Amino acid sequence: MLVIAIAKGRFLAPSLAVLDRAGIRFDEDVTDSRRLVFDSSDGQCRVILVKPIDVPTYVEYGAADAGITGRDVLLESRADVLEPLDLGFGQCKLVVAAPNGASSADADRPIVRVATKYPNAATEYFNRRSIPVEIIPLSGSIELGPLVGLADRIVDLVETGRTLRDNGLVVVDVIAESSARLIVNRANYQTKRSEIVGFVDALEAAGPRAGRA
Amino acid sequence: MNSLTQIPPGTQILIGDAVRRRRAVERAIFSVFEGWSYQEIIPPMLDYLDVFVKGMGHELEDRIYRFIDREGNVLALRPEFTSLLAKTAATRLSQEPGPIRLSYSGEVLRFETTKGGQQREFAQMGIEQYGVSSASADAEVLLVCMESLRSLGVSDFQINLGSVDFFGGIVDRIGLPDSDIDRLKGLLNRKDQSGLERMLDGLDMEERRKAVLRAVPHLTGGRETLDAARGLVRNERSRQAIAHLESIYSVFEELDLAGRLTIDLGEIRGFDYYSGILFRAYVPGLGFEVALGGRYDHLLAQFGHDTPAVGFSFTLERLEQVVARPFPAGRSAEGRPSDAASVADAVRLRGEGKAVRLCS
Repeated sequence: MLVIAIAKGRFLAPSLAVLDRAGIRFDEDVTDSRRLVFDSSDGQCRVILVKPIDVPTYVEYGAADAGITGRDVLLESRADVLEPLDLGFGQCKLVVAAPNGASSADADRPIVRVATKYPNAATEYFNRRSIPVEIIPLSGSIELGPLVGLADRIVDLVETGRTLRDNGLVVVDVIAESSARLIVNRANYQTKRSEIVGFVDALEAAGPRAGRA
Repeated sequence: MNSLTQIPPGTQILIGDAVRRRRAVERAIFSVFEGWSYQEIIPPMLDYLDVFVKGMGHELEDRIYRFIDREGNVLALRPEFTSLLAKTAATRLSQEPGPIRLSYSGEVLRFETTKGGQQREFAQMGIEQYGVSSASADAEVLLVCMESLRSLGVSDFQINLGSVDFFGGIVDRIGLPDSDIDRLKGLLNRKDQSGLERMLDGLDMEERRKAVLRAVPHLTGGRETLDAARGLVRNERSRQAIAHLESIYSVFEELDLAGRLTIDLGEIRGFDYYSGILFRAYVPGLGFEVALGGRYDHLLAQFGHDTPAVGFSFTLERLEQVVARPFPAGRSAEGRPSDAASVADAVRLRGEGKAVRLCS
């Protein structure tokens, strides 16, 4: 049996839709239950529901064979996993943003204060550019940081850009494009190869890229 | 932090059954190593930092525990054995008739996040063979790995076999800068097809070459994988790598063990020193590899003696999680200790070859 970790929240419905197109269905409504473990109708798959940030952890440790999560989460977690498919949904960008009118070069500042939910990705971005940085970890409403003088910049996920605009922020740079990825544990890929390859192929055929030459 | 009661992060203390288990595992594996004529050596705990940087590469340099001695030399606690043994083989043992076969077991230290039971301090046990670059030398090392697993009652395992040269031959021809090659390797190692596609879109490269790179993550399976790979490449280095893997694979087919091997030409992860075959052993139920090995024909030249080499190592903390239970079978060879009421009794019982526990 394949164990698949999927993220609760905004990724849940599209993840289930992809699984459904690949023929993995459930007798009960996965979105409307407090349970965290569901077996598929044909008994071939078990889905576990976890927090988005935890999907790479379950997969890296092999507690789940595969998982569906955003590339932003993968970059931040630095999990050592296989990443065979871009599932196409959940498109957004991980960006650096600054208050409108205060987005001049970082080179002038002795140190840049950055509010973010992505401390690893943010640190790496600024380190690569030799910009001294102070990371201020926040867990939500990141846009508030520069407004109240807590930070000079933010590193956050942007879907439409509306929240940024509404809070007087502009995108300074794009760190990465993100979308939903299928990830697979390295060891289980070897020890459950035929099952996993079959699953990856089914998802690829069912995905938005299906039919592409 | 209370340094008198707390242990440094990532270090460990084995007690009781954990120790008996460790020693039993070591004995079983050493007996296999000896059976294939690998002689144990006990190298030092530390050496000059450069010795390890040459081997592991700069990427791993910052994971090494290092310090400065009284003379101002930068020393490092061993983060692995291969570089240490290579140095010994290239210097002290350079005049010995080859092939030289060495084995080792001991703790290594790396600044790393604890994963799959592997802490910052962990136990490695393995073999190295110097002097021969043939397919049969590679096959021998793979066979020793398989027999070691079986000696622990681990009969269900899978070994993933790749080659640095197959990919090397492809990129030799492309003439990409190193940073692009690293990026390409990263994408292939994650089997990230969409990332690969995006990178290829931005590269000015013949479509035929792009098709080859696109195929690499899918070059995994049995003998048919080697046939497919041969149809893709024309360069000599890649073709030789395929022929070499084919010779190894034939050995396992004849022994009816080919089912335990998976060819994976998209697998190019490992220390900088790897130069030919590369392999990892996996056991169902554990999300991490239990063994890692490969060929490193250019490492010994760094230490002044150019000779080919191949080897592998187990991480014992991981292996111990998958060994068949109950293992080890007995507590000790001498059985349950007899109670001795006095020192004289104890000495008498010891004289009879019995285990004793002095009660007084």
